[in-house]
Amino acid sequence: MTRTTLRICATSHLLPGNAAWAPLEAQWVLAFGDFADWPTALMTVAADALLWILTLEDVLTPESLEGLDGGSLDEALAKLMAPLDARLATSTQPTVVAWSTWRPQSQISSARHPSAWSQAGQRLEACLYDLAATRPALHLIDLDAALAVDGLAAAFDSRNFYAAGCRFSRKGLARVVEAVEPVLQRIAAPPKKVLVLDCDGVLWGDVVGEVGVGRILLGGDGVGRAHLDIQRAARRLGRAGTLLALASKNTAADVWEVFDRHPDMALTRDDIAAWRIDWTEKAGNLESMAKDLELGLESFVFLDDNPFEREKMRLALPQVTTLEFPADVTAWPGLIDGLDLFARFDTTPEDASKTQQYRSRAAFTDARRGATDDRDFLAGLDMRALSVPLDITTLARAEQLAAKTNQYNLRNVRHTAGDLQTMAGSPATVAFLTRLRDRFGDHGAVGLTLARITGDAAFLDSFLMSCRVLGRHLDAWMLGRLVMLLQERGVRWLFAEFRDSGRNAVAADALTAHGFARWTGPGDDPRRRAVADLSAIEGELYFADLDRLIIPHLDLFHDPQPQPPRALAAAVS
Amino acid sequence: MTPNPSLRALLQQQFPKAAIPATGSLAVGSFAEWDSLGHFNYLMLVEETFDIRFSVEEMAELKGLDQIAAALAGRGVEGL
Repeated sequence: MTRTTLRICATSHLLPGNAAWAPLEAQWVLAFGDFADWPTALMTVAADALLWILTLEDVLTPESLEGLDGGSLDEALAKLMAPLDARLATSTQPTVVAWSTWRPQSQISSARHPSAWSQAGQRLEACLYDLAATRPALHLIDLDAALAVDGLAAAFDSRNFYAAGCRFSRKGLARVVEAVEPVLQRIAAPPKKVLVLDCDGVLWGDVVGEVGVGRILLGGDGVGRAHLDIQRAARRLGRAGTLLALASKNTAADVWEVFDRHPDMALTRDDIAAWRIDWTEKAGNLESMAKDLELGLESFVFLDDNPFEREKMRLALPQVTTLEFPADVTAWPGLIDGLDLFARFDTTPEDASKTQQYRSRAAFTDARRGATDDRDFLAGLDMRALSVPLDITTLARAEQLAAKTNQYNLRNVRHTAGDLQTMAGSPATVAFLTRLRDRFGDHGAVGLTLARITGDAAFLDSFLMSCRVLGRHLDAWMLGRLVMLLQERGVRWLFAEFRDSGRNAVAADALTAHGFARWTGPGDDPRRRAVADLSAIEGELYFADLDRLIIPHLDLFHDPQPQPPRALAAAVS
Repeated sequence: MTPNPSLRALLQQQFPKAAIPATGSLAVGSFAEWDSLGHFNYLMLVEETFDIRFSVEEMAELKGLDQIAAALAGRGVEGL
C-alpha cells in the first residue's frame, strides 16, 4: 500500500520520533514541520492532508482574556482561525484539527458563573464547528474528550512542557494519536455496513430454546438490563444507517417468539435486514446473507458471545471483522456505542431508512423473479426519478455514494467531499444526484453523475449508482438527464471511461448498452487531448456523439422532467 | 520474571534505523540520529519501560547510558 503524506503542525512541540506516533507512521508518511510553524503550514501546504493540534493555552493566556467582551474574544479567535480558513478556501485535502482547551483551574472559580477561560474554550469550539459546516474538508477532534479517558491531568505533563515545549505526557501523546487515527481512517475508507448479531447470550441472556421465552434474561435489573441496552445500542446503529442481521444457531420459531412476545425487546423484526436462524455453520450463513444483500463480506462485523464461534469465523472468513469483547456483557453496551467501525461523519436521510431500503430491494428481487415478462414488470413499477443538484445540502450523501459504491461505478474514483464541492462549484461541471421512488418505496438519493466540460466535449468523471436499485435501468434515466443538461451547454461529444476495479463487472457493458462506442481515434485528436487534460485515463475510453445518441429504456420512467430531445424521439419511435 | 530489556535494546527500539556502535560507552551524539530530541524521546521510552519518572533536571543531565543506568539503579532497577 502506498502511504501518502500527512503534514502535522501544532501550537506546541509534538516530539517527532516518539514511539507514540508509531500507529500513524504505519499508514502515513508523517511530515512534522518546524516547531510552532502552524500558521505557515496551514497557509502553504495545500497538496497534502494536514493535522493541526491546537492547545488553546499556547495561543491565549488567561491574562489576555482579562477585559475581553464577547465581540473582542471572537475577533481574537477569528485571527487565530485565519490561517485555517485560508487553507480551507484553497485546499480540498483533508484537514483535521484536534484541539484542547484544558488548563488547570479551581472549581471554585467557576462555581457561580463560567470562567473567562471556559467561555473562550466554548467560543473556540463554536468557531470550529461553524467553519466545518461550510468546509467539508475540515474534520474536528475534541481532544479533551479523548484525553479524559485516562484523566486530563495524566494526559498533560508540565515537565515535558518546560523541558521540551510539549504539552502532553507520553500517555497523552498516545491518546492524541488514538483519537486522530480513526478519523483519518474514516476519511480514507467508508464505515462497515452490517452488524451480525448472535441471539442467545447477546440480545438476551441464557438459551431461549432451553429456558423458554419467559425465562430469558432481558430487561429488569442486572444482566437482563445490560442485554436490553445491547439491543438499544444496536438499534441506534440501525437507525443511523448500519444494517442489522441475525446469525443464530437456534430454532427460528423460538427466536421470533422472543421478538414477537417478550415485552422488553427493544429490537423489532423491522429492525432486522437479514437473518439466518438454523443449525448450520455461521460462516456459510454470513456468505449467504452477503449475497442476498449484495454486499461484500469485508463490510460485515460479527458479534457473538461464544469464543468458539468467533474463532471459527476468523478462520473461515478473515475478511469479516469479528469483534472480541470481554466476557462481561455489562461492558458491551458502552463498547457498541464507542465502536469506530460504523461511525460516520454525517448521517443522511438515506442512512435512517437503510434497513427499509434493503428490505424493499429483497421484495423487488422476489417480485421480479416471479414476473413472467421482465419489461412489463419494470413498466408497472411506476418509477419516478428526480435529479437534485450537488450542493452543500447533498454533499454528504454524494461523498457517501462516491466512497461506498463498488459495483455500479464506472471509474471507482473516490472523491472526497472537498473535491466534490470544488468541482460542483465550477461552471465547467454538470453534477447531480438522482432520487428514485417506485411502488417498492422511496429509495432516496441513489445515483451520482458528474461531468466536466471542455469546449464542445465533456468527460464523465463520476457515474455510479447504489446496488439497491440495480436492474431498474435507472442508469438510462441518469444518462438521459445528463445528456439534456450537456446539450443545453453546447456539448456534443461525451467521453467516458470504464476502469475495471475487479468489483464493478456489473457496469462493464453499461456504456455500450447506452450507445457509447470504444474510442479508436488518434491520441492527438483535440477532443481527446482536452479530455486527457481533465483526468488521467487508465481504463477503456468510450465516447458518444450526443446528437446521435439513442438511450433505451427511458419509457419505463414516469418522468416529471423533460428528456433529451434525441433520446425522447428514440423512446417514442 | 522477564529480565529488563537492556538500555542498548531500548536504544535500538527508539532508533530502529540507526547504526549503533557495538562497543564503548554510548551517549547523546554517538550516532547521527541521537540528537537532543531523540534523546528526550529515548528517556521517555526508558521511563515507560521501567515505570519510573525522571525529574526535569535529570532530563537535562542524563546524557549517557552509564548515567541512565545509575539513575535507574538509584530507583531499584538493577542489572542493566
